[in-house]
Amino acid sequence: MITLTIAGVAAAARTTAARRASLPLAVAAAIAAPWVLDAYTISLGSYAIVLGLVAVSALLLTDVAGLPTLGQGAYLAIGGYTAATLSRTVTSNGPLQLLAATAAAATAAAAVGVFATRTRGTTFLLTTVAVGVLTQAVASRATSITGGDAGRSVDPITIWPATAPVTRHGYLYLYALACALAVGGALALLLRSRFGLTLRGIAAAEARVQANGVATGRYVLLVYVIAAAVAGAAGAVLIAVRHTIGPSDGGFIVSALALLAALVTTRTMTGAMLGAAVIVAVRDLVAPALLAGHANILLGALFLAAAAGRSIARRARLAADPSTGGFP
Amino acid sequence: MAGDLIVALDGVAFGLLLYCVAAGLSLSLGVAGVFQLSHGALYLAGACLAWWFAAQGTWLGFVVALLVGLATGAAAGGGLAELLRHVPDHLDQALVTIGAGLILVEVLTSGYGAQARTVLPPPGLDGAVTLLGRAYPVYRLTIIAVAAVLSAALHLTVERSRPGVLVRAVAADPRHVATLGVEPRRVHLAVMMAGGALAVFAGVLGAPILGPAPGLDTTVLTLSLIIIVAGGLGSMRGALLAALIVGQVHTSVAVAWPTAAPFLLAALLLVGLAWRTHHHLITARVA
Repeated sequence: MITLTIAGVAAAARTTAARRASLPLAVAAAIAAPWVLDAYTISLGSYAIVLGLVAVSALLLTDVAGLPTLGQGAYLAIGGYTAATLSRTVTSNGPLQLLAATAAAATAAAAVGVFATRTRGTTFLLTTVAVGVLTQAVASRATSITGGDAGRSVDPITIWPATAPVTRHGYLYLYALACALAVGGALALLLRSRFGLTLRGIAAAEARVQANGVATGRYVLLVYVIAAAVAGAAGAVLIAVRHTIGPSDGGFIVSALALLAALVTTRTMTGAMLGAAVIVAVRDLVAPALLAGHANILLGALFLAAAAGRSIARRARLAADPSTGGFP
Repeated sequence: MAGDLIVALDGVAFGLLLYCVAAGLSLSLGVAGVFQLSHGALYLAGACLAWWFAAQGTWLGFVVALLVGLATGAAAGGGLAELLRHVPDHLDQALVTIGAGLILVEVLTSGYGAQARTVLPPPGLDGAVTLLGRAYPVYRLTIIAVAAVLSAALHLTVERSRPGVLVRAVAADPRHVATLGVEPRRVHLAVMMAGGALAVFAGVLGAPILGPAPGLDTTVLTLSLIIIVAGGLGSMRGALLAALIVGQVHTSVAVAWPTAAPFLLAALLLVGLAWRTHHHLITARVA
C-alpha cells in the first residue's frame, strides 16, 4: 500500500504542472511550520533539513551524475567537525562556520575524489561506503580534534557579529531552512547551466560525451567536490541546530538514509527534502509510538518499500514504453 | 620482536577470516550481480549463533552453531537471490539489502542485548601453546588452519573445478552458458547460498576472538568492501593479499599506533584504486 502510494506520488509529481506548483507550496509550508508545531517537532524538522541537505548531495551524485553513493555522511562529518572547531576556537558566527565547513568538505573531497572518481558504478558505490565508514572510524579515534566517541559540544551560534546567540528552536529551524534554500537555489542555477547538462549527459552515456571532446573526468571530480560541499554545509547546519556532533552523525546509516530520501519520492531537490522529512518523522515520531526502541525495523521496512516502489515504477515505465512494445 | 610476530600472527588469523567473508561478497557481486550490503549482518548472525549455542565453549554447542550457521547462511543467501531476481538495478539491490540488514541487526541486537559478549573456544582448543617463547592461544591457530583450508578450497573450486568453470562462465556471459543447457539462475542461486553460508560460518568460527558486539556488522562489511575494492573486483588473489594486509593493519598497527589504523585502511583503499587504474571509459553495468 505504502509502496503504491509512493509510486503514485512520484508519478504525479513527474508532470510539469505538479512539479511547478509543489515547490512554492512546500517552501510556504516549511516557513509556516514554527508557528504551527511544538518545539520538539520543530527540532526534528531542523534535523530533517540537515538530512535533506545530505540527501540533496546524494541526489546530485546518484541521479544527476549517475554515480551512486553511500558515503556522503563522511562530508557531513568533516563539515560538522570544522564548524565545531571554529566555534570553540574562533567564532560563534553561524554563516562563517557554514562557509568554512563547506570549504573544508570540498577540499577533503578534492583529495579523495582524485582516487574515488576513477571508478564508476558499483565500484564507486563500494568505494563511497568504505570512505564513509573509514571517516567515521577516524572521527572516533582522532580524539584531539573530534572529542572521540563522546563527540563535541559547542555554544549556540550567532547570526550577526555582536548580537545575542540564537537558542530558540523556531529561529534555529528558520536559519537551517534559509541555509537549505540558499544551497538549493545555487544548485538549481548550476544544474540549469551547461555544466548540469553535461553531467546528465555523462550519466546517460559517458563515452559519447567524451567523443564530443569533453574531458569527463574533470566534470565528475567537480561534481563530487560540489556534492561534498553541500554535505559539508549540512554539517555546519547540524552544529547550528543541535550544538553537538559525534562519529555516528556521519555514519553509514546516515548516508544510507540520505540515499533513501533522495530516491524515495520524485528525485528532485524538493523531493529529497520531503523524503528526509518523512524518514525523520518515521524514525522519531512514528517508531517511538509503534515499536519503542526498535526504530531500525521500521526504517528497514522503509528501505524495502522504497526498493519495491522503484521496481514497480520501473516496470510500469517499461510497460508504457512503446519502443519496447510493453516487453520488459 | 617476538611480541610483534605474535601480533602479526593474530593479523593473519583475522585476515584469513575476513577473506572468507569478502570472497562470498565478491562472488555475489561478480557472479550473481547482487550488491550484498547485509553481509556484515550475516557475519553478526554467525557470532550470535555461537554465543547462543556455545558461549561456554562446548563441542556439541560449537558444532551445532556451525551447522545451523551453514544452513541459515545458505537459506538467507538463497532467499536473497530469489528476492533480488526481480530487482535487477544495483541501487535498488543496495536499498533492499540495507533494509534487510537493518532489520536483521535489530532483531539480533535485541537477542544478544546490545553489549559485547564473549564466546569461549571449545574444550581442547581453549589452551595455549608456546610459540617463540610466548604463550599463544590454540584457537587462533585453529582459525588460521580452518580459514586457510577454506580459502584454498574456495580458490581451487573456482579456478580448477568444473562447477568453478561454470561460475566464471556465468560471470562472463550468462546467455552463452544458457545455450549450454545450464540455467544461469541456478548458478546465481548456488553462488549466493555459498556466499551467505561463508559469511555466517566465518561469524561462528570467529566468535571466540570477535564475539557479538554493537557495530561488528558495519566493521566486517567495511573491511570486506575495502578488501574487494583494493584487491580488484573479481580478483581472488588480489582479495587474498588485501585481506592479509587489512588483517595486519587491524591488529599490528592497531596495537602499535591505534589512531593510524583507519587512516592506513583508507590509504590502502586509495592505493588499490589508483593502482588498478580503472579507465574512465570502463563504465560498469550499473544504471
